[in-house]
Amino acid sequence: MTANGIPIGDVLLASGALFVIGLAGALLRRNAISIFLAIELMMNAANLAVLGYAAALHSLEGQIVVFFVIAIAAAEAAVGLAIFVALFRHTETIDVNQINLLKW
Amino acid sequence: MTPRLVFDVAAGLAILFACVMVVHRHPVKSVLALVVSFFALAVTYVLLAAPLIAAVQVIVYAGAILVLFLFVLMLLNVPEEVRQTPDRPIHQALSAGAIVAFAAALLASLRAYGATRAAPSAELPPGDLAPVARLLFSDHFLSFEALSILLLAALVGSFVLARREESP
Repeated sequence: MTANGIPIGDVLLASGALFVIGLAGALLRRNAISIFLAIELMMNAANLAVLGYAAALHSLEGQIVVFFVIAIAAAEAAVGLAIFVALFRHTETIDVNQINLLKW
Repeated sequence: MTPRLVFDVAAGLAILFACVMVVHRHPVKSVLALVVSFFALAVTYVLLAAPLIAAVQVIVYAGAILVLFLFVLMLLNVPEEVRQTPDRPIHQALSAGAIVAFAAALLASLRAYGATRAAPSAELPPGDLAPVARLLFSDHFLSFEALSILLLAALVGSFVLARREESP
């Protein structure tokens, strides 16, 4: 399967690489905002795979799905960052190692 | 310049700057690297016949969401991550193992799947906006409206969360 002369394998490989990089960032960073950024990157990797298949299958539904994902990511970013602001006001840090209120 | 070559360059740039984002210890530089990565991804979206999504990617993702991140980073004055010598050794070893295992599983499944699928190549239409818009406002109209309510809820929610408590 190709999309516009681009083999779907290439698209999936790029998407997988981005997803793994995002996973590494989410697991290895200690700053809550950096972790959040890595999660955004993983979401974009998934979007790339969806668009690759949508192009290869000549379907428009994929673009609709990605549109909704981006809009929900915007809502999620707004709420998440508000939580970080409230957290910072409370604990004076956003290092996830020091935010252990619920840790037993 | 074939589309494939442009795609490979753009995807390579996106991956490179994603690596920069993960490696940098300074959060502001991480965000800026991610902006470049998202721009490169927008180029790949154009090549995959999704110009609307490419525009949304640049305007909403790189333009609005990442600027929000930068805004909060500067508001909180987040310091650079300092390297601690006994920095969670068990956690890091487990994380590295999980990442490698996940990457290997992903690569194996891509190999198994990609090899069996080599089928027709057809030139894509340049990606008109009108059919996408027609689909969005007919079949998915209800979801679209639900999305606007969700965004309103997120707006109100973030306002309530980040508000300073009034001292009595």
